Amino acid sequence: MRFFKKSDIPVIAGILLISLALWGWYRISYLDTPVVAAIYYDSELVEVVELNLNTEKEFRIKQQPDVVFKLHKDGSISFLKSDCKDRLCIRSGRLKTVGQSAACLPNKVSVKIIRKNKNADHDLDIVIR
Amino acid sequence: MKENTFEQTEEINMAVSKKIIRVVFTGLLFAAAIVLSIAENSLQIPVLAPGVKLGLANVMVMYALFFLGKRYALLLAALKAVFALITRGAVAGILSLCGGLASILVMALLLAFFGERMSYLIVSIFGAISHNLGQLAAVSVIYTGLVALVHLPVLLVAGVVTGAATAVLLKFLIPAVNRLGLK
Repeated sequence: MRFFKKSDIPVIAGILLISLALWGWYRISYLDTPVVAAIYYDSELVEVVELNLNTEKEFRIKQQPDVVFKLHKDGSISFLKSDCKDRLCIRSGRLKTVGQSAACLPNKVSVKIIRKNKNADHDLDIVIR
Repeated sequence: MKENTFEQTEEINMAVSKKIIRVVFTGLLFAAAIVLSIAENSLQIPVLAPGVKLGLANVMVMYALFFLGKRYALLLAALKAVFALITRGAVAGILSLCGGLASILVMALLLAFFGERMSYLIVSIFGAISHNLGQLAAVSVIYTGLVALVHLPVLLVAGVVTGAATAVLLKFLIPAVNRLGLK
């Protein structure tokens, strides 16, 4: 089997183009929509945070005071501090676009960006209760 | 009882030593996967999507598929998942398993349909991408509502990069593996 064929280039270009198109579509569809961050503890919604307040703030949720969130001036939210071992939540960086999410699985805390006043039902996910 | 001829004994010996080589090679790949797994967790790599790992260790599963076949690749994926289960917990174990199985499935299908007409690069890329997507699917089942299509672009690009790196590394490995006499 060969390592690389000329016909590979369009395939790779196609994949990258699809990625770009998806990313662009997402940004454009949600460009002017007011967004909020929904914070879940143990799969239950515990807090909704406005993101376009132009303030910087650090806060925690009372269900899990070991996790510290930070609200940034540019309208993004991120995990700032956590007592979990792997710190994956903090390494997820800043969340800003609708649909983006991050989680601190050991602490059962997760954040998802959704459109204001609407459930996150635009996405293809299944809710099993 | 009819005695085996000399040729038959030779064949049996060859078959047995090939199997031994395969088993030992699997162990080697498993050890490498463990090291890669530890390295991946130690380095501060930015997270692509909730719960999804870069999949460096999955490269070993891909190599197992290339060099040893489906059976050993599946074995390695299972071993990796058990390791993840023991060291990082149940969720990590499930994610590892889903990523590995998805990767093997897609690569095996590609190899079955296209055979020699595929290139290592494309198969590796698809293997890496399906590893990421498999993990994403697992996360979205376990933590319903957490995951959305917005994570796709990053995972696709990461898959391309990881797949390309896998294929490049493969180029250096093939001469050495050929000398093992597995084929």
